[in-house]
Amino acid sequence: MASRKKTLLKVIILGDSSVGKTSLMNQYVNRKFSNQYKATIGADFLTKELTVDDRTVTMQIWDTAGQERFQSLGVAFYRGADCCVLVFDVTAPNTFKSLDSWRDEFLIQASPREPENFPFVLLGNKVDLEPRAISAKRAQQWCQSKNNIPYFETSAKEGLNVEQAFLAIAKNALAQQNSTVDLYNEFPDQIKLTNTQKTSNNGDSCAC
Amino acid sequence: MSLGKMSQNEKDFKERLITTVKKEVKQVMEESVTRKFVHEESGSVTSLCGAVEACLSQGLRRRALGLFKTSSTTALLHKIAKHSPEAAIISKKVEELENLDPNRRSSSSSDSVTKPTLKKSASVPANPLPKYLWIRLALFEKQLAKIIDFLVSNATKYYDKDALVADAEYGTILSSLLMGPCALDYTRMKNHDHFWTDPPADELVQRHRISSGHSTPPSVRRPILNFRRSLNTSSEDSHTNRSSTQQIAKDYVETLHQNSKATLLFGKNNVLVLPVNSDLSKPIPGYLSLHQMPQGLAIKWTPNQLMNGFVDDSQDKSIFWEYALNVRLDDIVYVHCHQDSETGGTVILVGQDGVQRPPIHFPKGGHMLAFLSCIETGLLPHGRLDPPLWSQRSGKNHTKRRRPLPALTETEETSKDYVFRIIDNTCNHKDILKRNELMDTHASLPTKVRVQLGSTSTSSDSSTKSFSLDQNIPDSPPSVVVQAVCDSMKRQIISRAFYGWLAYCRHLSTVRTHLSGLVNTKIVNGVGASDGITLEKWSELCLNGVVSDYAEVYRLTYFGGITEALRHEIWPYLLGHYKFGSTLEQRNELSDETRQAYENTMSEWLAVEAIVKQRDKENQAHAIAKLSSESMSGEQVPPQIHEELCNEVFEDDSITDNEGDSLEEKETSAKRPKHTKQNTIKYVDDEEDSGGEQQAEEREKQANEENDGKNVQNEGALKNTENDLTTDKEDLEVAKEDSYINVNEELKDFIHNVIVINASVDICSLSNDNPRMTNLDAVTEENNSSLDTCIETHGLASPARSNCVSPASSNGGVYSQELLETFGLNLHRIEKDVQRCDRNYWYFMEKENLDKLRNVMCTYVWEHLDIGYMQGMCDLVAPLLVIFNDESLTYACFCHLMERMVENFPNGNAMDCHFANMRSLIQILDSEMYELMHAHGDYTHFYFCYRWFLLDFKRELMYPDVNATWEVIWAAQQVASSHFVLFLALALLETYRDIILSNGMDFTDIIKFFNEMAERHNVQSVLKLARELVLQLQILIENK
Ligand SMILES: Nc1nc2c(ncn2[C@@H]2O[C@H](COP(=O)(O)OP(=O)(O)O)[C@@H](O)[C@H]2O)c(=O)[nH]1
Ligand SMILES: [Mg+2]
Repeated sequence: MASRKKTLLKVIILGDSSVGKTSLMNQYVNRKFSNQYKATIGADFLTKELTVDDRTVTMQIWDTAGQERFQSLGVAFYRGADCCVLVFDVTAPNTFKSLDSWRDEFLIQASPREPENFPFVLLGNKVDLEPRAISAKRAQQWCQSKNNIPYFETSAKEGLNVEQAFLAIAKNALAQQNSTVDLYNEFPDQIKLTNTQKTSNNGDSCAC
Repeated sequence: MSLGKMSQNEKDFKERLITTVKKEVKQVMEESVTRKFVHEESGSVTSLCGAVEACLSQGLRRRALGLFKTSSTTALLHKIAKHSPEAAIISKKVEELENLDPNRRSSSSSDSVTKPTLKKSASVPANPLPKYLWIRLALFEKQLAKIIDFLVSNATKYYDKDALVADAEYGTILSSLLMGPCALDYTRMKNHDHFWTDPPADELVQRHRISSGHSTPPSVRRPILNFRRSLNTSSEDSHTNRSSTQQIAKDYVETLHQNSKATLLFGKNNVLVLPVNSDLSKPIPGYLSLHQMPQGLAIKWTPNQLMNGFVDDSQDKSIFWEYALNVRLDDIVYVHCHQDSETGGTVILVGQDGVQRPPIHFPKGGHMLAFLSCIETGLLPHGRLDPPLWSQRSGKNHTKRRRPLPALTETEETSKDYVFRIIDNTCNHKDILKRNELMDTHASLPTKVRVQLGSTSTSSDSSTKSFSLDQNIPDSPPSVVVQAVCDSMKRQIISRAFYGWLAYCRHLSTVRTHLSGLVNTKIVNGVGASDGITLEKWSELCLNGVVSDYAEVYRLTYFGGITEALRHEIWPYLLGHYKFGSTLEQRNELSDETRQAYENTMSEWLAVEAIVKQRDKENQAHAIAKLSSESMSGEQVPPQIHEELCNEVFEDDSITDNEGDSLEEKETSAKRPKHTKQNTIKYVDDEEDSGGEQQAEEREKQANEENDGKNVQNEGALKNTENDLTTDKEDLEVAKEDSYINVNEELKDFIHNVIVINASVDICSLSNDNPRMTNLDAVTEENNSSLDTCIETHGLASPARSNCVSPASSNGGVYSQELLETFGLNLHRIEKDVQRCDRNYWYFMEKENLDKLRNVMCTYVWEHLDIGYMQGMCDLVAPLLVIFNDESLTYACFCHLMERMVENFPNGNAMDCHFANMRSLIQILDSEMYELMHAHGDYTHFYFCYRWFLLDFKRELMYPDVNATWEVIWAAQQVASSHFVLFLALALLETYRDIILSNGMDFTDIIKFFNEMAERHNVQSVLKLARELVLQLQILIENK
């Protein structure tokens, strides 16, 4: 085990203010819930080591301020992310409606290499509360429309599903780091002239 | 398929292969900049290797060469090992690794191994060998470009005629492209294990205490003459005698990405330039890039024709090469910017000779600003833009930008032209640097002299002449060269002393001009003030209730703070609420007025709050209803569907007893109607005049009727669903959705027309001591429910909408939809943050005090709706409230406090100024720290100070310490510096300076460190240090 190399996974948690980002992170890393957490100002992160498929990885979980105005500094924090966790509050419809803009904002600021394949995970938090305003189905529909984002219903308060969710987050982040491995299998060893024409794009790689 | 078409296809394919390599190279290079390391196992490394493999496989003469292993390129590597020393090294390593792996029969680097886990050196691999093994190894060992170079040079032997590698252009491009990634150091990257075993902050502090016992006192350090040495000064020059097309191709590649010689700081395509000496009538698009080279910054612009490249015949291209721009920033003195709303702006560079370079027209989208800020950063640490891009005086007129470009003068609102001067504090250092390079080159690689001198001679500085050795040297024998070097050395020693002195003078002048605004010029003596304002002192200062010696109050506070018992009395003076010299009666009068005004304002927003609350309930109801409708049509198993369908029937109370998955929904939907009925009646009693009761009753009846109707409808739906689940659910959903949309629109209409009739009865009771909260709660409740009724009625298309009279009222006006929305949004934010404000502090454990906080916050936001609530404001109110325990006084003082603080919030400019000032201060006062920050992933953006400045260190300190710090900050304005927070920040950094330096902290380290250190600082020593730093700067400026 000692000889194995550790991998760092950078994960960003985003979502409206008060959906439970800080609580989820603390529940996962420290296994405790407190209603004394302060509203996050700026950004903070916690790290946790875990084993995914026999591999030890370190997750660096970044918690950011939920009010949209902090975002001008976002670039510095989002860069190099391996996975983005979007959180909404199942009892607050507006937090669900903001998901699109959080996702867009992240993609703009972090500008990952393949935005359409960048891993997101959606968490519907506070399932211990009622009344519920967003059904699992509605959340799942949204996820489907975004290239099948994995969805988890969590409660940071009760610790419900939190462990599972973050494990999935780690897996997705890890897959992201390795994803490009298979990209070149499509290159044929021999030239198949018929295949190449339609796929060849005139992409100018320097376009920024 | 015709021959022509076929070759076109092949060309396309090659183009595609090379494009892919380009893309991957760019990715790896970016990763090396944006992350602090490129991990050997990084996906982008694998992708790059894959792309290279694809290129090398194409057109390989497998059969002829007998390359039959699974990976023919690995076989190729082994084959060429005889002739290429680089290949031999890699070949040997590959074999070593494969021999260690018992699972391997043959070298198969491209079969399906999915988890690359390459170990450095020859430790036993725990996992299967990674893909593209040899290419990886060659990359990490920096041999890949050379190996490919070899293949390209000997392509005829190993490749088909039409292979990519055998192609004159593509082959060269391929090997040139890989030079960048080969220059990266994959082994020197930060070790994860080291990072993750980083001890927590307190352990670091502990260790430091034990090891040193005392911390290095911060001092004004003279700027050190440090030059960044170029890394591989001339390793690339061996390629210089290539043919010109190859050279062009190589140059082209170099502008695309950074390599060991140049860092790409900025790149943007489709930037328009009208080249000089061209017959063109219009500017043409091209790729603009900014490069950091050992000699300094360079701006390049390459016409698109060259970028898309290699399609036109060479004659056409050569014209474009003449159009291309290559400007060294050393030669530029002024940067003129013309901004206009139509285009993205124009930049004109003006040289020392006064000659303008062709205008550079940016496309829209903030690229010009990005370009300028890249220049500004690139000039650091020795040069800068004057005025700085982020100046202190930037006006509010640019607030729409994230990081506003300030005007030269705030007053020039109409003009959008700026002129920046490029100031090079140490252009002289650069000459020395160049000479150093020269020396190194002479010592080791005499043949490179010419090349080096060539670049040196382009320096624009006047002092260069004496060192122009290139005229004499080229054809001289080695002994002459050595003589020249000795001469240059002598001069260098003399010039170093001279430049050192000169730099120091310039440094001082920078300090004067740049930083003099940060401290007051008058140095106030702190003698006898270290105890601050004690009860005794105060009784001397406050004679018969009048305090007139304000200077002494400020002085004592600045140097010694205020005793806890007096804070509530003195803070209003410091914040500007009480006037010095006022009498007790005047202040009492002021307090009464303040209270009156506060209560009036409160009554205004409370009325709006009531409406907002109602709307919330509607939305909630709507969402819940939608939820039920969804689940009804959902794909769950039939029994569940049945249950949830029942929930839809609000009025059926018996459902509350049901159990099951959807209990929560049932409960709420079932509860609500009861609630409504009761409250509606109460509401009618309280607020409506005669006739209202009847109306309400009517409404309710209607509601019931409608709901009955709905019951029927739902039952129908239920049957339908049961009968034919699969076919009907789609329709059902659509129908449901429609009706909800209706609801929503009608409600909007309704809200829009809320007419407020007369002042509410409830508001009168506000001026009484405390019943306001309970009273208000009642109002809110009632209002909620009454509107609730309306919704339900409307939801079912009732015609009785107009009967709903607005319950909320204030001064008889109509609230616009916009106002309601804005305030509502703010209200929610406030509530969320009040709930989370310092709940572990005794004062805010009381619900009553949280309500006070909320009231103050809401009142402020109501009065400043344009500013709105922003996260952090609650933190600023809280300490004031704790001290005063009086809403209206807290409110008044908070307003004063916000006059300064509001600029820190995201719509203001102060935060960027703080960051910029921190940069300058650290550079001047602790250049070593600056260098560290710059070197470790460059966090000289100082974002880790964001929370410090936003909240005046409130989150960094415990309550008593916050109080002590805040009063010093307020007093400092009058006594020492109105930017005292900067010096506090510096003091915090300096306090832990040795820990930061010895651990080589990077951005994440420092964030972690200070977040962990929050509320654990020794505030008195930090304050003391901050005052000393102010004094240091004051003395520095005074002495010129
Ligand atoms: N009932 C319940 N409350 C939660 C849960 N998660 C967070 N909260 C509460 O929601 C509020 C906001 O949580 P916080 O983690 O600060 O949200 P953030 O702004 O997204 O970081 C706090 O009062 C938490 O106690 C949850 O799963 N269940
Ligand atoms: Mg938070």
